[in-house]
Amino acid sequence: MITTLSYIDPGTGSLVLQMIAGGVAAAAVTAKLYWRRLRRVFGANRPEDEGTPS
Amino acid sequence: MDEQTRAAADLEPGSFRDPDSRVVRSEGRIFRVLSERGLADWQTFSASPLFAELVDEGKLIGTREADGVELGATGLHEQVAGALEHELVPFVSYPYEWTFGMLRAAALLQLELVRRSVEAGFMLKDSSPYNVQFVGARPVFVDVGSFEPLREGEPWAGYRQFCMLFLYPLMLQAWKDVPFQPRLRGAIDGISPAECRNLLSLRDLFRRGVLTDVVLHNRLERRYASSTRDVKGELKRAGFRKELIVANVGRLERLVSRLRPPRSDSTWSGYGLTTTYSEEDAERKRRFVADAVRAESPRLVWDVGANEGQHSRDAAASAAYVVAMDADSVVVDRLYGELTEERSERILPLVVNVVDPSPGLGWRGLERQPLPERGLPDLTLCLALLHHVSISGNVPVASFLDWLRDLGGAVVIEFPTPEDPMVRRMLARKRSNDHPDYRREWFERCLEERFDVVDSIELGAGSRIVYRARPHE
Repeated sequence: MITTLSYIDPGTGSLVLQMIAGGVAAAAVTAKLYWRRLRRVFGANRPEDEGTPS
Repeated sequence: MDEQTRAAADLEPGSFRDPDSRVVRSEGRIFRVLSERGLADWQTFSASPLFAELVDEGKLIGTREADGVELGATGLHEQVAGALEHELVPFVSYPYEWTFGMLRAAALLQLELVRRSVEAGFMLKDSSPYNVQFVGARPVFVDVGSFEPLREGEPWAGYRQFCMLFLYPLMLQAWKDVPFQPRLRGAIDGISPAECRNLLSLRDLFRRGVLTDVVLHNRLERRYASSTRDVKGELKRAGFRKELIVANVGRLERLVSRLRPPRSDSTWSGYGLTTTYSEEDAERKRRFVADAVRAESPRLVWDVGANEGQHSRDAAASAAYVVAMDADSVVVDRLYGELTEERSERILPLVVNVVDPSPGLGWRGLERQPLPERGLPDLTLCLALLHHVSISGNVPVASFLDWLRDLGGAVVIEFPTPEDPMVRRMLARKRSNDHPDYRREWFERCLEERFDVVDSIELGAGSRIVYRARPHE
């Protein structure tokens, strides 16, 4: 490993994992957002839920 | 600062890991000296609204610039560019003395700080639970030197450390009922992904977070162990954005907040209710202890064997700070839960086994200090404790009193005589002459050799005696 971000060893594998895990989590958040919007279009959602995926 | 006080300035031996910042003690105050890079990071961070918010919310230790303070040896490799002064934490504690709830609260604080920092354009250099301290039941982040400006495109360097020192210990206790305290005390860097993987069973693979944070993490760590690829650069080119850190941290926050301790009962839970005292005697004892604390008006009280913390609560009415220690983590965790709800900042609950207390650990055995070096008590409470130390722990009565004498403060100590039903039960499990020193006359002789007995009270028809004593002048 030739990169250092910090004085602690971040672990190369640990960095790669974040891309995957963060990507999956980000995709899930995005999917949820669009799912809610879709439901709103069909009138199945309360309007105050819009845009606050959690 | 004159020569004398400069000589008294003491390098905090546990703060050497970050090359840009060292902690120095001087005259009971606590300073942080910074390198040029450390100072630049501090100036950017302290000017941000995030810094003021976190201090206001009690989540970050109060910190101000200490101009004109000269500190002797600072341990920094380069010239000292600036110095900060921190608010004091009344008593320093370490993760291997915390309960499940405390480690979880510290983990959630660490994650919240990372999330809010990233959103505000900052990052934390590391994720060590040793950067969190408890003021009573309130967790507070003390390593102001950990904040630095975010470098866009770089992942969270502290993720691995978060897993090893926060996430895996909590997972193993929640799911496998394996207490994390001995493991964290045994290894200053915590539990590796491979160790955690080996301790989990097939069933655990279906639990939230295991496939990602343990199994895949371990695989990737092994795969990249001898890699010389520029992963940081590759990630940046692949479009790693700070939103990925926020998403990942949000995922970990949900995971950690759902972890629960496995048990709510234990040997000692309910102990306060099952003693042999009559209600009247229990009340007399309580009053005796509360009066003793008032008479001693101590700054720091150690309540050793605090159990449910009743005497700690009484003591906190007239003492500045109480450290409530007990070996039973379930009982201490319950006390922590109550204190959290009450927002108490005067009682610090800790998991401590008095016959096997925290040693000095880490580099040269100095990075983490033994309990007495973090602050000696003005008063120590040892109520319903000595028979456990002596009969179960096999510590000689005289040796226990030596230890109390070395702490230097006054004591309130209970001696349950061999006629006490509980003691009789404990002695019945031993050979008849295993504890020749567990006698009232011998105890009193040892006590009087080291202390002046100021007051005492007999309870349970003389089967238990509580003494208040001060060390000989």
